[in-house]
Amino acid sequence: MTASATVLAGGIARRLGSAVAVLLGAATLAFLTLQLIPGDPVSVLLGPSNAGSPEVRAEIAREYGFDRPVADQYLHYLGRLLQGDLGQSYQLQRPVWSLMTDQLWPTVQLALSALVLAVVLAVVSAVATAGRRPAFRAVASVWELISASTPSYWVGIVLLTVFSFRFHVFPVAGAEDFASLVLPAVTLALPLTGVLAQVLREGLEAALEQPFVVTARSRGVGRTAVRLRHALRHCAVPLLTLTGWLTGSLIGGAVLVETVFGRPGIGSLVLQAVSAKDMPVVIGVVLLSAFVFVVISTVVELLYPVIDPRLRSA
Amino acid sequence: MRPTLSRLGRTLAVGVSGLLLLSACSSGGDSTAKTAGSGKPVSGGTLTAAVDTEPVSWDIHASTQDVTAEISRGVFDSLVSQDSDGKFHPWLATKWEVSEDFKSYTFHLRDDVTFTDGAKFDASVVKANFDHIVAKETKSLYAANLLGPYTGTDVIDPRTVKVNFSKAFAPFLQAASTTYLGFYSPEALKAGSGKLAAGGPADVGSGPFVFSAYTKGQSATLTRNPDYAWAPETATHTGAAYLDKVVVRFLPTASVRAGALTSGQVQVAKAIPPQNVASVKAAPGLNLISRANPGGNYNLWLNGSIAPLDDVRVRKAIQRGIDVEQDVKTVTFGQYPRAWSPISPTTPDYDKSLEGSWPYDPKLSAQLLDEAGWTGRDAQGYRTKAGKRLTVDWPQLSIQATREGRDVLGQAVQADLKKVGIEVKRPNLDIGTYNTQVYGGKANIIDLSWPRFEPDVLWLFFNSASAPAKGGLNATFIADPSFDKWTDQGRATLDEKTRADVYPKVQQRGIDLAVVVPLYTQVSLVGQSDKVKGLTFNPSNWLTYYDAWLAKK
Repeated sequence: MTASATVLAGGIARRLGSAVAVLLGAATLAFLTLQLIPGDPVSVLLGPSNAGSPEVRAEIAREYGFDRPVADQYLHYLGRLLQGDLGQSYQLQRPVWSLMTDQLWPTVQLALSALVLAVVLAVVSAVATAGRRPAFRAVASVWELISASTPSYWVGIVLLTVFSFRFHVFPVAGAEDFASLVLPAVTLALPLTGVLAQVLREGLEAALEQPFVVTARSRGVGRTAVRLRHALRHCAVPLLTLTGWLTGSLIGGAVLVETVFGRPGIGSLVLQAVSAKDMPVVIGVVLLSAFVFVVISTVVELLYPVIDPRLRSA
Repeated sequence: MRPTLSRLGRTLAVGVSGLLLLSACSSGGDSTAKTAGSGKPVSGGTLTAAVDTEPVSWDIHASTQDVTAEISRGVFDSLVSQDSDGKFHPWLATKWEVSEDFKSYTFHLRDDVTFTDGAKFDASVVKANFDHIVAKETKSLYAANLLGPYTGTDVIDPRTVKVNFSKAFAPFLQAASTTYLGFYSPEALKAGSGKLAAGGPADVGSGPFVFSAYTKGQSATLTRNPDYAWAPETATHTGAAYLDKVVVRFLPTASVRAGALTSGQVQVAKAIPPQNVASVKAAPGLNLISRANPGGNYNLWLNGSIAPLDDVRVRKAIQRGIDVEQDVKTVTFGQYPRAWSPISPTTPDYDKSLEGSWPYDPKLSAQLLDEAGWTGRDAQGYRTKAGKRLTVDWPQLSIQATREGRDVLGQAVQADLKKVGIEVKRPNLDIGTYNTQVYGGKANIIDLSWPRFEPDVLWLFFNSASAPAKGGLNATFIADPSFDKWTDQGRATLDEKTRADVYPKVQQRGIDLAVVVPLYTQVSLVGQSDKVKGLTFNPSNWLTYYDAWLAKK
């Protein structure tokens, strides 16, 4: 008992350590980027078509300590981050932290619904077609390939053209109600579905070759039941890993989807920040993405032994 | 998937035929507008409008953005109002006196004006707002410039206020008519710049609408102020606005904006892309308004301070060696008129005599370059002098270059100038390098547009006091005594005769010295439903919702 508790504590400590390392890396990279952008850093922070009065410029230089040695600036910057101070957006004149928290919920809503939709569609598609007639399989994998490789920007516009502009089923944009979430979630989910279903089918087919399938079938278990109860469990670990990994990419996808559909969220915030060269906000979102990535990969790792008992002893 | 694809096929087919239709009739300068209301206005209803950009900051005293000023116009009132001839009319000020030396302005204020939070509008509010604009904490990036050499405001009595400047400052009335110098309620000012910039109910003004809700990335909602009774004389009615509500949605994707309009989900859509104009016009129940923007056109500015453009003959060769007419027509689908002056025809004191005065003339360009000694030719066909190629650089900033097809237009210019033997290099720079190069006077050509309903923009472009080193926009990088004299004179007076004399001279000299190559006038292309009546534009070409109403049916 104590031994396994030590192992567990060690595992947690290791994970925490790597989480801190990833976050530190992201923060350092963001800092270096700001240093490496050529030109006067105050101009970079202010963005284009903004000369800024001498007073405003002096205030920014003081806040960021541009007059001090780089090592000094770096420590100062890390110190501010430790206190949860992500700085102030010069375009929006508001703290970066509150900007992000304001925009977080619509994006989480979008990302979660897209994720659930993608997993459900992928499982249905893979279970229905794995190891069945080749024609079935071919149709499914062509469709998955298309959905994985079509730009979501384009998919979004096509969906809008059909379901909103032509048939008026869903509203063009916004985030007021459930109806306005459907098209954006589908748009964001499609490429994920494609990738997940392909990987899942491969896994299922490999599992169906295993001897235990024959055993189960000989006990009178139906074809679909075997897939759902036994084979699926075998490919759950790679599926989970991939899902976790793809979740990290959802913020990137959200940028396009939120723009096309005129939805609020982190994506539209970062797009606005990038086009206005609002560096404090860009850095804030980079750190947030790194944090989300760390959390998801930790959760995924913790779930492995739950799914696959063989991993528990390790 | 199949219905989707066939639907897309149809969309493409419609798009292509729309393009054909457009190219067939693109020569018509179609700027007719059914802006005036027909029939008797009715109250009620919600107008939903789609715009392409979302305000970064909602603080009218800090923001530089047109879209902030346009949407906020419904919420904030100004001291005076300007009509499309450039004349000023009473608004919150019933009358005003300007001192001989243009250093002080005395305004007599209405006494029946209240903010939507119940506070009264009076002289102390004017002072508090102007002082807020110039305060360091406001970090004003535009309004503080509009206040020019502001030194302070004297409250003479509750209904009289005197605004003072250290130097003669004639453009002040125009500045005072813009949203940027509009008035917040005293309580709103106390909330601080961060709150004001965030938008929504914290932004309290005295206008016909209340800024009732804002969702970042989605929409802003304005609700009627039922007590409004102090409309400017330039409006077509008095009293409360007709519309119950105005919802402004932010739809940056052009095809989505156009689709929302044609499917009736919005009644007004701004920034219709030129290639979609024909389909909007052809759609039943929709019409299109096209209006030339006032202020600085989209111009190329030639840096006359460094070689090879320190030679007027070379600059002239560039000016006459670009087929502006053809290039602009092709790139903007015939929707934007080519420009002849650095300022647009809708700007006061525009010099119409410049039109047609410097047509495309590659022969003349060749002759001028010969005279300037660029007589050699290298293997690629570019001209040389003493073994050196005739090269100019025109840096671009990737995010700005693609706007309005400016990158494509740039390629056309490159191709034209190659024909006369000039090499144009277009390095793609990051913001930091761009600012250093361009505003440091190291680039040969800079492109920019600067809308404003006031010929004083010519001061910004040509006066030596407006050098980029001092935060100005004089991208000619030359100090010319005539430019200085005329733009200073124009800025120091409101006398129409003087202004009508000096401003055309500035435009003329800009073309003569070939420090500027005007390319096109930006045009607002607004699509609207036939049900929308009385939607008007102010002189800056911003939509104003106060007089608008929705026809029943």
